[in-house]
Amino acid sequence: MNGLQFEALLPYTLLAAASLVVILLIAFRLSHTVIQITGFILMCAVMVALLQASALLPVAIYPIFQIDGFALLFTGLLVLCVMVVGLFSFIYFEEREENPKEYYILLFLGTLGAAVLSISSHFISLFIGLELLSVSLYALIAYLRNRNNAVEAGIKYLVLAAISSAFLLFGMAMIYMETGSMEFATIAKKLQTSNGHSILFITGTGMMVVAIGFKLALAPFHLWAADVYEGAPTPVTAFIATASKIGVFAVLLRFFQTIGLSNYPMVITVFLVLAVASMIIGNLLALRQQNLKRLLAYSSIAHFGYLLVAFLPGNAAGVQVAVFYLLSYSITLLIAFGVITLLSSREQDTGDLALFRGLFWKKPVTAAVLTLALLSLAGIPLTGGFLAKFFVLATGAQQQLWFPVTVLVITSVIGLYYYLRVISTLFGEAVPTPVKKTLHPFFYLTTYTSLIVMVVLLCWLGTFPNDVIEYINRQLLIR
Amino acid sequence: MNIEYYIVLSIALFCIGIAGVLTRRNAIIIFMCIELMLNAVNLLLVAFSKMHHLKGVAANPNAGIDGQLFVFFIMVVAAAEVSVGLAIIVMMYRNVHSVDVNFLNRLKH
Repeated sequence: MNGLQFEALLPYTLLAAASLVVILLIAFRLSHTVIQITGFILMCAVMVALLQASALLPVAIYPIFQIDGFALLFTGLLVLCVMVVGLFSFIYFEEREENPKEYYILLFLGTLGAAVLSISSHFISLFIGLELLSVSLYALIAYLRNRNNAVEAGIKYLVLAAISSAFLLFGMAMIYMETGSMEFATIAKKLQTSNGHSILFITGTGMMVVAIGFKLALAPFHLWAADVYEGAPTPVTAFIATASKIGVFAVLLRFFQTIGLSNYPMVITVFLVLAVASMIIGNLLALRQQNLKRLLAYSSIAHFGYLLVAFLPGNAAGVQVAVFYLLSYSITLLIAFGVITLLSSREQDTGDLALFRGLFWKKPVTAAVLTLALLSLAGIPLTGGFLAKFFVLATGAQQQLWFPVTVLVITSVIGLYYYLRVISTLFGEAVPTPVKKTLHPFFYLTTYTSLIVMVVLLCWLGTFPNDVIEYINRQLLIR
Repeated sequence: MNIEYYIVLSIALFCIGIAGVLTRRNAIIIFMCIELMLNAVNLLLVAFSKMHHLKGVAANPNAGIDGQLFVFFIMVVAAAEVSVGLAIIVMMYRNVHSVDVNFLNRLKH
């Protein structure tokens, strides 16, 4: 490795160092506050390193990593999500856990896993990244060990994720058998020379799709989503819904593009079925939910269905739209989970919709923020969610994918119903709730500030998207 | 030996693993079945690695080495996964005094 490669890899090295720093801080018995602030500063350092590295790209660390503009965009998105999740975590864990500190080690390790996924161009780095992410998630989900539900959610995720990684490995082995290589570009080359439609290759890709579908909670593999979202601590739920899915989606996009899977009609059909099933099942099952966390779980299943419609074309426009969509989606979900974190009491997370009744009359700002997030999820104009959905529709229509586009429109209308139902609950008649113990106001201040900043960002994305789109385009050209 | 034998053996082991995960109720046995699935993949990778090595050794003495390399990564990751998994199972035992996964039915609506 030469100096240039080290420099390009610096953001990822810093991410790995962040968890080590937290371990050392714990060893010196420093307080939760110190660890929280150091973590935030370290994430800022990663962002600075990313900006520095963007001048050097593209850099390949052959054969396992490929650091280009695409990877940079996804890593930046991931780190932003984790910064916000870290901010929310303080008030959440400070009042619930006697040991809130180890949480940050796991959080940063999980982020490292997702970031490695975004730069990986080899099966080994893909697998290591995915497992770094999943193993940290097992522990994160079951972190509040005195709550029965957390352990239940942890075991459910653990068993299903382990099976899905076994499927992923089996699929990789099949593709390795066919091509004799594990590097994406070499596989693509081998496939061009040989007959790429062999049974082994298709079976292998299919088994990998099972694993990826599980991680993204796409429709036939979505059964874990609602339970895990509900049982996990709320900041961890936000992490699963944003960072873990962004990382997996990044590697899916890279694999898909490098191999040129859009030339295989079979694979396109499989993704089409997954997209349509996710949109329908996600939206229909969300209709009956009485718990906001479960509702958001089903809504995120549906949203990844929408995202797959943009992903299906497999060209540059699709990637650009996907990045924009992920950006607005993750901001929106972080706002929603941030509000749930703020409202949660010591004993249980405020998921039940009954607890949100009349929130507007008690906490108007929080309720307004949540309303805006839900409107963005529903795709109401002037929010980022609307434009994201519009771009997806436009890409789908350009490629004449009429069937998924029609399903998207119809299911969005169904989706509007349950989002509006939650909003109407917020404005219902208030029920008295017990006042809870308050922490130092500084942390409430930072949480509220981050919420407000994200709301502003969301509206900015929804009204003036040009700057962001230009930036995304510029970054995607570095390859 | 013919490569098909290895493929058939691995698929058989993999399927036994899946069947075990789906039918057994004991969390520890479910874990053993998952290990079986991972080891089926290891066997497959080593067999393929040898096959590609024999095929390409004339041109490149390192041909097919990444398959064997991958196996080491899988073994390490599987060990990490099991250690975290067993810790979670211990927590489950403390909460419900059993490792039967049928007790995990509270998250349902």
